Amino acid sequence: MFRLSTAIALVLALPASAEEFNFAVTTDPQTMDPHAVNSAPVLGFLNNVYEGLVRRGKDMAIEPSLATSWSPIGDGEGWRFVLRQGVTFQDGSAFDADDVIFSYERASSEQADTSSWFAPVSDVIKVDDFTVDIMTSAPNPIFPDSIANWMMMDSGWAAANNAERPDKEQGNYATLNANGTGPFQIAARQPDLSTVLEPHAGWWDEVEHNLTRVEMTPIQNSATALAALLSGDVDFINPVPIQDAARLQGNPDVQVIQGIEARVIMLGFDQQSGAAESGQGASDMFLDARAREAVAKAVNVPAILQTIMRGNAEVASQLVSPAMRGYSDAQAAPYAYDPEAARALAAEAGLTGQTISLKCPNDRYLNDEAVCQAVTAMLAQAGMDVSLDAMPVSNYWPELRADNFDMYLLGWSPGTFDAEHPIRFLGSTPNEEKRLGSWNFGAYSNDRIDTLLPMIQSEIDDSVRQGMLDEVAKIMQDEVAYVPLYVQPLVWGARANIDVTQRPDNFFILRWVTVN
Amino acid sequence: MLSFIVKRVGQSVLVLLVTGLVAFSMFTFVGDPIDNMLGQERTMEDVERLRAQLGLDKPFVVQYFRFLEQAAQGNFGISYRQGRPVAEILMERAPATLELAAVSGVLAIVMGIGLGVFTAIRRNGVAANLIMSISLIGVSLPTFLIGILLIYLFSVELGWLPSFGRGETVHIGGWSTGFLTESGLKALILPAITLGLYQMTLIMRLVRSEMLEVLRQDYIRFARARGLGDRVVNFRHALKNTMVPVITVIGLQLGSIIAFAIITETVFQWPGVGLLFINAIQFVDIPVMAAYLMLISVMFVAINLLVDILYAMIDPRLRAAS
Repeated sequence: MFRLSTAIALVLALPASAEEFNFAVTTDPQTMDPHAVNSAPVLGFLNNVYEGLVRRGKDMAIEPSLATSWSPIGDGEGWRFVLRQGVTFQDGSAFDADDVIFSYERASSEQADTSSWFAPVSDVIKVDDFTVDIMTSAPNPIFPDSIANWMMMDSGWAAANNAERPDKEQGNYATLNANGTGPFQIAARQPDLSTVLEPHAGWWDEVEHNLTRVEMTPIQNSATALAALLSGDVDFINPVPIQDAARLQGNPDVQVIQGIEARVIMLGFDQQSGAAESGQGASDMFLDARAREAVAKAVNVPAILQTIMRGNAEVASQLVSPAMRGYSDAQAAPYAYDPEAARALAAEAGLTGQTISLKCPNDRYLNDEAVCQAVTAMLAQAGMDVSLDAMPVSNYWPELRADNFDMYLLGWSPGTFDAEHPIRFLGSTPNEEKRLGSWNFGAYSNDRIDTLLPMIQSEIDDSVRQGMLDEVAKIMQDEVAYVPLYVQPLVWGARANIDVTQRPDNFFILRWVTVN
Repeated sequence: MLSFIVKRVGQSVLVLLVTGLVAFSMFTFVGDPIDNMLGQERTMEDVERLRAQLGLDKPFVVQYFRFLEQAAQGNFGISYRQGRPVAEILMERAPATLELAAVSGVLAIVMGIGLGVFTAIRRNGVAANLIMSISLIGVSLPTFLIGILLIYLFSVELGWLPSFGRGETVHIGGWSTGFLTESGLKALILPAITLGLYQMTLIMRLVRSEMLEVLRQDYIRFARARGLGDRVVNFRHALKNTMVPVITVIGLQLGSIIAFAIITETVFQWPGVGLLFINAIQFVDIPVMAAYLMLISVMFVAINLLVDILYAMIDPRLRAAS
């Protein structure tokens, strides 16, 4: 006799009842382990299930979560976190300082992908069951800001299920199961097909949403996702293809929610002398700052935004958007579009007559290839001969690592929401040992920036810190280290009866969703 | 006969091994999975360590050999993307593809033969000409466009059928079926039409031209002269004799229905192995790509082997030649 059991519905063809909420994402989170992969699809989703000591509010500001308060210790030796009492994990066990210590050890372990968050940490000390001291090797004013995605896991649960360390290659219990303190718990998961969430009855905070069941379905094809939204099979999709946004706005059944992401899209240059490298990027054409300036002046960013982004994005002047902490108001003016000056500079720097190789991804950022084509055409107008090579992102990073470029397109979203982040990864001279400049493919290097970075990282006084950030922003602008183009837009689509809150980190927070 | 079969099986194994080797040599061009497995704050040290752990620092021939070694023991590795055994994922996804392929196949054969006979018998009729014209769409429009058009019409505009997915499924043993629920059956309609349309028109046009050929034969004329009814002449005498080439083509198309399913599954977010493969390519999930390609080549090689053996059994001349 066959045992018949109704499986989890992959899709409900029936109209969802009031509190059921179905949404589509393009990328299924590849793991349920909050420490295994430091990527937006994973952390964004798990923010609904797991919680950290602090969390980000609707305005991106840090607010208390599993810690009720925090304060610096002494003269910047570390931070003391007072933990919230009476918090339970979804399996019913209680949350206390031991779980914080365990989560620190787990998230900072070699097997974890989140260990860079803890590079400044020297020690984590349990003071009592609800007080934890996190010691830093140098004063670290932005530490609480940098751990909003550091999620707490129950030590007992991890031990019982043999998941005390993340396992990226083989997977373990925590790859498929979750046990957080957050507002939602996983009721069923079929990787790649469907994930069903239910509210966590014992959640400590006041419930804002009115959801009783949430189903997440990955839909990779944007046309299919759009059709699913229009037909009401799903209530929410992210993203809406930019070219369809205007058409959707005319439909009374759906709404388009637009905003600006934290991600800045920029052009980078090969600034290493040819002798030090091989590959196609072995030429020295962009060692000359005038050559980089020529590119900066030749690209008409507002025109790109008007056409390719349909007016949905904002011009960027530096490596972070104005919404980030440490944004430099003093350097808010973007490079002015001036094709004549660009032509003259390009000739002076000897760019004319050379073929510039521009590398570009075609499936990583919104309309990335189209943007690169526009840049190619604009540079051609200023007398520069660019050969564009666009490829899937899986081929793109190896190509950049192999120095096969003169110019490349890069998007950067600062994980800490602070201007220090891109300086560390993009502005510092690459240094494997100090874990600096790991995304600085073009090897841009400035001694003053390298000196300023540790000072910025440990400066407690906000105005002094801002002064140094302004200085770095000015140096990078003057030297045209990168050409910031625009801040990437966010376009979400939802049925008309859904209320959602959009955050610039593109995290979809379910506890702010209501179905009317 | 036995030596013939042994020889053919040996050749098939060789084909499989070569296919695998070609597949593995291609994986290098698909990209680097490491960047997809680590976040933006990774260091080069992390990248190199993970690469070494996965054995990706080895030449592809070595990787291929290791894959074969493991596969021979029934172990297809762990998916980079899902962190689960590939065999488990394939087993989970196969029913969706097989059910879709079966329904499309039946649809294509039944409708294809039926319409082929109809258009042959009424070859000057208005309806037959209309069907022939419409069938051009099936041959010439790309699958994804047909899928999107069907979704737009039946899901978005009319709201009759779901726009994506497989509906509610029921588990029987290790098999998940969509045949037993209303939403599962509804969800099958659009993808099955999309996938089967090309094969259907192909079969229809083939049946029609074969049938027209046969209907001109003397024995059909004599059958009519004997005063046999239309039905007996058309179906017992004419159709039966058109079936030989039709069955050959249907056999050949069997494999391609599963291969074509990749596009249909992408358009309808159908949770089968084709969609799994597309996602694996985007992520450079080498274990999944390798297992899928080997599975598909085993399938094609097995079909061909079977056909070869059947031919040899039917036609003794082939045996003698070998």
